[in-house]
Amino acid sequence: MARSRFSITRLPGFGLIAVLTFVMLYLPIIILVVFSFNAGVSQSRWDGFSLQWYQAAFNNAQVRDVSLRSLWLAVTAASIATMLATLAALGTTRVGRFPGQTMIYALINQPLMVPEIVTGIALLIFVAAIKVQTGYTGMGYLVAAHTAFCIPFAYLPIRARLETLDNALEAAAADLYASPIQAFRYITLPLMVPGILAGFMLGFVISLDTVVITEFVKSAGQDTLPTYMLGQLRRTVTPEMNAIATLFLALSLIVVTAFFLITRTRGR
Amino acid sequence: MHGHGWKWLLCTPALIVLLLAASGPLLIVAVYSFLSPGNMGGVVWEFSLEAWFRVFFRRDIFEPDLVEWNRAHLQVFWRSIWLSLQTTFICAVLGFPTAWFIATRPRHTRTIWLFLITIPFWTNLLIRTFAIQEMIRNNGTVNAVLMWSGLIDSPIQMMFTEFAVLLGMAYVFLPLMVLPLYAAMEKMDFSLVEAGYDLYASRLNVLWHVILPQVKPGFIAGSILVFIPAIGAYVTPRVLGGGRTMMLGNLIALQFGQGRNWPLGAALAMLMLVVVVGALIFYLRVVGRNDEARRG
Amino acid sequence: MSHEIDITGLSKSFGQGAAAFQALKEIDLTITSGEFFTLLGPSGCGKTTLLRIIAGFELPSTGTVRINGRDVTSLGPSKRPVNTVFQSYALFPHMSLSENIGFGLKMLGKPKAEIRATVDEMLQLVRLEAMADRRPSEISGGQQQRVALARALAPRPRVLLLDEPLSALDLKLRKEMQSELKRLQSETGITFVFVTHDQEEALTMSDRIAVMSAGQILQLGAPQEIYNTPVNRFVADFIGDTNFLKLRVKAVDAGMAVLELPGGKAAQASLPDGMRPATGALVTAVIRPEQAEATGADEGDLHATVESATFFGTDTHLHLTLADAQGFVLRRQNRPGQPVPAPQSRLGLALAPGALRVLED
Ligand SMILES: Nc1ncnc2c1ncn2[C@@H]1O[C@H](COP(=O)(O)OP(=O)(O)OP(=O)(O)O)[C@@H](O)[C@H]1O
Ligand SMILES: [Mg+2]
Repeated sequence: MARSRFSITRLPGFGLIAVLTFVMLYLPIIILVVFSFNAGVSQSRWDGFSLQWYQAAFNNAQVRDVSLRSLWLAVTAASIATMLATLAALGTTRVGRFPGQTMIYALINQPLMVPEIVTGIALLIFVAAIKVQTGYTGMGYLVAAHTAFCIPFAYLPIRARLETLDNALEAAAADLYASPIQAFRYITLPLMVPGILAGFMLGFVISLDTVVITEFVKSAGQDTLPTYMLGQLRRTVTPEMNAIATLFLALSLIVVTAFFLITRTRGR
Repeated sequence: MHGHGWKWLLCTPALIVLLLAASGPLLIVAVYSFLSPGNMGGVVWEFSLEAWFRVFFRRDIFEPDLVEWNRAHLQVFWRSIWLSLQTTFICAVLGFPTAWFIATRPRHTRTIWLFLITIPFWTNLLIRTFAIQEMIRNNGTVNAVLMWSGLIDSPIQMMFTEFAVLLGMAYVFLPLMVLPLYAAMEKMDFSLVEAGYDLYASRLNVLWHVILPQVKPGFIAGSILVFIPAIGAYVTPRVLGGGRTMMLGNLIALQFGQGRNWPLGAALAMLMLVVVVGALIFYLRVVGRNDEARRG
Repeated sequence: MSHEIDITGLSKSFGQGAAAFQALKEIDLTITSGEFFTLLGPSGCGKTTLLRIIAGFELPSTGTVRINGRDVTSLGPSKRPVNTVFQSYALFPHMSLSENIGFGLKMLGKPKAEIRATVDEMLQLVRLEAMADRRPSEISGGQQQRVALARALAPRPRVLLLDEPLSALDLKLRKEMQSELKRLQSETGITFVFVTHDQEEALTMSDRIAVMSAGQILQLGAPQEIYNTPVNRFVADFIGDTNFLKLRVKAVDAGMAVLELPGGKAAQASLPDGMRPATGALVTAVIRPEQAEATGADEGDLHATVESATFFGTDTHLHLTLADAQGFVLRRQNRPGQPVPAPQSRLGLALAPGALRVLED
């Protein structure tokens, strides 16, 4: 069986192109990571192993500053987005059709559909107007913008999780004398946890990655790691940038892997 | 049971944030595209069609009645569309064998390959663009290898060309092509392939007459999923392309920077939105029709 | 014998206006304490709907539900002394078996010690002591079934509702669980309301059966009663196998009719209450396949030709044709050395006294 299947699915050259595609996909990233450990300044000539660029990155006050801001922003926005998305998922999943449902879906998914540059300049205009009115220039704008952008990503896995839950479980809880609040507290909520965690992680990664929106919304001195990097790329880049990028990648990779593991165990 | 009120109530907090920080501002953009530009950015609250006019046309500085096409803009539009189409094509050509490769792996290794294609999708686009920049800079990896091997004497200028933008976009958007293609192939009925071979079809015939028709929805979905962010691209052309290979996204941003013409920027943004929403509606039609066909 | 559940004038419609569908039509029903009561009927006849209304998951369109004399029609499921064993079991996947079984008591605010004692008792009752700390996904289907039972029994409800609890099990396990359920019911003395569309299951387990069709109860009674004296063609057909014969009335007298049999002989048949067919009219008479006996070709009440024989292990079904070409199935207990009649061979049939009954169509 395995052998006959192998032969019918074989298309000449496809395997080679596929492997080359994977190589092309990962080679630039691998080179980027490798040269973050370079002892020299060059990004193309290997001068020996060293952690000096990591040291430089850690000692760079500005890098520390923007990294902390990025992390703070990602945690804050992802937390708020996850909470809001959880509520919205409870309101829209397993409840039958109701008037306005399509509009709610459209609103929730809107940040996914509109190009980031359009959202970015839209927020720029809006924020500029509010700043004139209120004089407030704090992090609130970035938090709101990131939260809105994270909501659809957080909503997705939470909704998916909720949809797999058997309605009979809550009925069983009610049958066993649980009030609606108890049924939510002891049954629905614990069972939603993997979805909520996954939602938070996606939101976190997305907020961490967002560069265009941040670029247009941020006030002076509110650079995040991506906007800082975007600014730096115009200058001559040293392997310090590779070191920062590598750390950034590692963080994303950890979160995405955790996300995969969580969403995969839910089938069991 | 108790009406629909509670459902709305649960959605309200999310909707408020989305209206304030995502959907609402879009309406303001629409309004701004019909206002007059302020001197130092911003707008003057005077109705004007000038911004929309200037999206496509320009007036002679000395003779305002002399109207001609705004060639600079048209060139950017054309480049955006052409580069996006090319990106889509490259992603399709590379993505199809890749998705096929993944879909035909044994079940347990398939997950790993799928994971490998998904990781770049979730990792920072800026970093991946930076990785490409490091490859193709004048003293980057590619030139270093070529010079070391003696194929060239002096570095090839790749950065700040359309080629660089194309390469970067194909690189960052490839997973968006592979994933829907894979999804379509996973659903495919492999016994039809067997039947094709059984009826003396060559590999090429089977590919063309049996496999492609079945994965067509995946192709269409993937193409649109690549085309949409390509049209809206900003970071990749900014980093790899620079001023002379601007795309629509950069042209929009320019109006809010040095250009200081917010209404024009707003009008250009609306134009981009129209193109993207058009592509999206087409996408939903196609995907929706296929879902129906499968059910029916 | 006190009334446990009283249902009066119960109707249920789904949807509104032209699209409305009446799932239950004016049901009146009394279930007594401690009985094993079965709702039996074909798919879609409204069994689950009736059960869900008793449990409180669904509001009836009209009518009342009383449990132990108290009107509970508008009370939610958490306010009724009734527990349900769900068709899908609905075990909480994130809780151990003990936690599942103790959930109801915990919600009732019982002290921890009492919960633990009851859980242990229940685990023992369903013979799962060794698996107390496992998750539902780590035990077999039959074991999940027993946990669902234990969970529903733990709060000591007055009534246990079971919606096709055995339908997901294979035949052998199903038989085992049938006797297990009977044992649990007699040990606990709790009233069981059991839903099934398997007539054999209903006959073997129940004290009383309600046969339902299209939202109505057609017949209510003990298994023997339903099997031996079905009130109409539907019940006769649904419960067990039946031969339907179109026969002519020769004479009518005091609840009995004399019917003309194919081949010329006559036989007595009981008439249903209030039915008085005219002499010479055609009526439907029924007889169970095991209530006739094969005799020599020229003896017996009926003469038949063998068409085919189907071997069933304990018995053999002979498919026969009567003198007037009507079909007849005869069920014969298998005995060692007994020959199977060859096709086209002829035999006679002796009907057991009282076996032939006239039915309203
Ligand atoms: N929520 C509902 N909305 C509309 N119609 C319903 C609903 N629930 C049940 N029905 C209809 O009511 C009828 C009775 O359904 P019910 O589930 O009680 O049948 P059942 O006897 O339990 O059948 P089964 O043996 O298949 O479980 C069916 O025709 C069903 O389609
Ligand atoms: Mg049912």
